[in-house]
Amino acid sequence: MTNALAAAIAILAVMPSAFGEAWVCTKSIDGMSRNPEMYSKLRANMIVACALVETTAIYALVTAILIIFVA
Amino acid sequence: MLNTVFAQETGGFDIAGQFLDASSGLSGATISSLIIVGIICLLSFYVAIRARFADPLKKPKGILFLFEVLINFFDGMVEEFMGKEYRGFGGFLLAVISYLFIAFIWGLTGLPSPMVYLATPLSLGLFTFVFIHANAIRFNKWRYFKRYIEPIPVFLPINLVSMWAPLLSLTMRLFGNALAGWTLMTLVYGAFNGIGEGAIRFIVNGIPQDMGIGSFIAPIITPVLHAYFDLFSGLIQTTVFLFLSMIFIANEGPQEGDIEELSVKGGR
Repeated sequence: MTNALAAAIAILAVMPSAFGEAWVCTKSIDGMSRNPEMYSKLRANMIVACALVETTAIYALVTAILIIFVA
Repeated sequence: MLNTVFAQETGGFDIAGQFLDASSGLSGATISSLIIVGIICLLSFYVAIRARFADPLKKPKGILFLFEVLINFFDGMVEEFMGKEYRGFGGFLLAVISYLFIAFIWGLTGLPSPMVYLATPLSLGLFTFVFIHANAIRFNKWRYFKRYIEPIPVFLPINLVSMWAPLLSLTMRLFGNALAGWTLMTLVYGAFNGIGEGAIRFIVNGIPQDMGIGSFIAPIITPVLHAYFDLFSGLIQTTVFLFLSMIFIANEGPQEGDIEELSVKGGR
């Protein structure tokens, strides 16, 4: 029971990560619509940046999984 | 439930890599990893032999052409992102990246994937970590040790902790992604197998237990998830690992601005 609660608290870190990803996507779509010839470059950079931002969420996930299975 | 499934797949290890049962020999993930290394070794030996006996004046065909494009691409990228003095890193990065990508999509074969076993991403991250510090020593010589007492010697413990940050971030990024995909796929397979078995038992009575009769729904639905969690996620994480490794390693060497400044000063 305590473990599940701790994992639930740990996974809360996903929330700001989602906002960060939304920010990345918003900005890059802004850029794409203003500057359509940069589309392919911006898209590739956007995917890499999204993966980098997602890292925080993945840390939270790893922490939660380790709390449930190991602790 | 997941922990027991995990232990069966990796042959007696739990997620943190601890032995659950000491009597089980080589784990499934280790055997998969050895198979991947074998595939890459055989392929590269084959290409090397083909390249040795090929006519350098003719256009390369087939697999030789593919590898020439790949190696040129990597060398060009390394030169563009890291600088001219790192030209030898293309081969190293190509080897690590090909292992990483094949290990990521190894779940498609149905064999236990080595990526969900913490030792694999840890050793991949360790490559980059060792190269970061070896490179720093190569370029900075004895000044390398000065970074641990900057800005004042009181910061030594903090600097010693932050030294491990790149290793941890590289490792956990790969491990978390692979583990998330693996956990979700296991849950989805379990759920659809259960639903299928329940549906069949509802219609036909008296089927003995443990027949695996419910496994006809999952193959219709899971390919989409496999495409996302294995192929797409693997490709993205491979790219991110490649870029981060290059940036981390090249960060330690002399920057382009420094060289320009030095040459300007020398000119005067």
